[in-house]
Amino acid sequence: MTVEYVDAGEAIDQGNLSGKVPGGDVAPPVVRGVNYERILNARSEPQNWLTYYGAYNGQRYSPLDQINTENVKRIGPAWVFQAGTTGMIAGASTYSFEAAPIVVDGIMFLAGWDGWVWALDAKTGVEIWRYKHAVPFDVSLCCGNVNRGVAVAAGKVFVVTANAHVLALDATTGKRVWDKTYGDVRAGESATVAPLVVKDKVIVGSSGGEFGVRGHLDAFNLETGEYQWRCYMVPKPGEPGADTWPADGEAWARGGANCWITATFDPETNLLYVGTGNPAPDFDGGVREGDNLYTDSIVAVDVDGGQIRWHYQCTPHDVWDYDSIGECILFESDGRKLLGHFDKNGYFFVLDRTNGALVQITPFVDRITWGAITRDGQVTAKVYPDEEGVPVHFYPGPAGAKEWTHAAYSPKTGLFYVPVQDVGATATRRRREFRESIPYWGAGVQVDIEEMTGSISAFDAAGDERWRWRNELPMCASVLATGGDLVFAGEPTGEFNALDARTGELLWQFQCGSGHHSNPTTYMVDGRQYVAVPVGWGAWSEGFLPGMLGAGHGSALITFALPETS
Amino acid sequence: MTTAQDRAGLLDELGLDAQNKAALGQVLGTGTIGQATERADGRMEATIRIRPDEISWDPSILVMPHGGDIELELINDDLNTHCALLPSNGDRKFIWLVNHSRGRAKLNLDGPGYYWFSSPTGNDEGRGLTGAIVVLGDVPPEARLDRPDQPRP
Repeated sequence: MTVEYVDAGEAIDQGNLSGKVPGGDVAPPVVRGVNYERILNARSEPQNWLTYYGAYNGQRYSPLDQINTENVKRIGPAWVFQAGTTGMIAGASTYSFEAAPIVVDGIMFLAGWDGWVWALDAKTGVEIWRYKHAVPFDVSLCCGNVNRGVAVAAGKVFVVTANAHVLALDATTGKRVWDKTYGDVRAGESATVAPLVVKDKVIVGSSGGEFGVRGHLDAFNLETGEYQWRCYMVPKPGEPGADTWPADGEAWARGGANCWITATFDPETNLLYVGTGNPAPDFDGGVREGDNLYTDSIVAVDVDGGQIRWHYQCTPHDVWDYDSIGECILFESDGRKLLGHFDKNGYFFVLDRTNGALVQITPFVDRITWGAITRDGQVTAKVYPDEEGVPVHFYPGPAGAKEWTHAAYSPKTGLFYVPVQDVGATATRRRREFRESIPYWGAGVQVDIEEMTGSISAFDAAGDERWRWRNELPMCASVLATGGDLVFAGEPTGEFNALDARTGELLWQFQCGSGHHSNPTTYMVDGRQYVAVPVGWGAWSEGFLPGMLGAGHGSALITFALPETS
Repeated sequence: MTTAQDRAGLLDELGLDAQNKAALGQVLGTGTIGQATERADGRMEATIRIRPDEISWDPSILVMPHGGDIELELINDDLNTHCALLPSNGDRKFIWLVNHSRGRAKLNLDGPGYYWFSSPTGNDEGRGLTGAIVVLGDVPPEARLDRPDQPRP
């Protein structure tokens, strides 16, 4: 006798099984009114954190001052959001929580690893909706299953996925509005960048510089997802800059220069300022003789058409993996429109952002042995992997004196605050043939696990170091500066610190239980200031701090505030 | 020394592809392989079963010819209760599968690449109820790099 099957019904969204109350899965339409004008004036609404750096200028500064040097010792956890991970995910050993939480009128929009996006109540931490993109288990990830956050505008949340899609989600429901593929996973491309909304465009860049791809910056129409432009960061033969690559062969086609960190933007110059990644292969310069433009460069790109207006190359013919993807902080000094950039190569560059002219350059880390750059910008390489099979030790290591994690600038103090990694590495050149999707480093690399140190260092615009807060380990997380004269900085060992922005004195500390490799932000709801920090160690820790490869991952967002007054 | 041609036979001989023989469970990736069927409208469909006492998906590797939408029929012929957590763009899909039950799931997946799915209860995942959905194909032409075709492994 045949027994009828029990009808199990249809599979449902897993998010429906997360304790939501009926109707609690729709966010208020706070993003509907977010447009270019509001993002342009983002710091005039300090209760919000509307864009990746807090403002187009990349300063990572909030004028909020409810939490300040006098009372910061009284702040404590307000709420914690934890996502964890289930099942087998890509980079299961390398996922990390790196995002910059975006906050609009009491709603937080947050991206996690492996295709997660959440909308949270920024006052309580309660999840409102979630979006989960299915990320292929076998996607190429040079540096971990990570994502640096979302952008918001026009009622939408924009995010990229590890398999190189850019998505627009409805900000009230988390449902997909449009979905475009902008990278080739078969070529080893991926995406980790936090998008940037400028005018009617969503700007994103590609990852994959360790796989021999050709880096690019892309723009999409924010309403429709229609392609607006693509700007390649390695010229084809015949294009300007092509003479910095070998004339024969296809080194240019595998040249790297990925734009994997969010650009800054100046509406007066109409330029995006984006840093580009390393050339490929990272450590074998013999197969790509020349300066290799526009790798390791600060590139100014016209936001309307995607044309390169000027560039400044920080490390010509890089053979140390010194991406210049670090943020370009826009500021003014003595009436000049300037740009500050802390490079992986250990030097702090200040440029005239109208034309790319060098204004000043100074080292910001103690140990630099790879070479030297003079005050007028002349670069001399000294130590580099050149001879096949011969180990070469150099400082800084390939994670750089500052990794992608960001410095901050306080217009109130006039100081830059930079997370410093003082750690070296040994590279041994090992030439290999290029194969699409296979890592293309051209060396064996081992980062030091001893004699490393770090700091939060404060510099003025002239490049003079004003104070230094020293740490036993490299500092690997973005810094946040506030109008309360505070600098927030997380440690690899889990401590979240508040420093006096004028002296560097440690004023407050909280052990978050996992290392910091993210972008803390601050906001205000109902008159209460919060500081939010994603915590979750992981990613390419073998590159920036291999001595902590065994540390727990974690996956929490922790917010801090002063005690509520009754 | 074993060669690839011996694989199926050696898995069986060693008992790697069954419960409580060589290991405690069935070693992942040793199960059956199946291909989804494509309808005229481009949507795909397939049936995945759990057979009695196998604690394994059949097929445990499902191949889709390209990215897009797929409708799965999920049948639990086992004498125990399991479930399924499946990858899909938007959110993962979950279904509870009591003994002798049949359910459905609609998934949307990008290609190319592969995705794990499992029964996230007890240690079904370790015993063998972890499967893969493989999506064939290439990214759209507009997403490919502007460069000459490059050598692949």
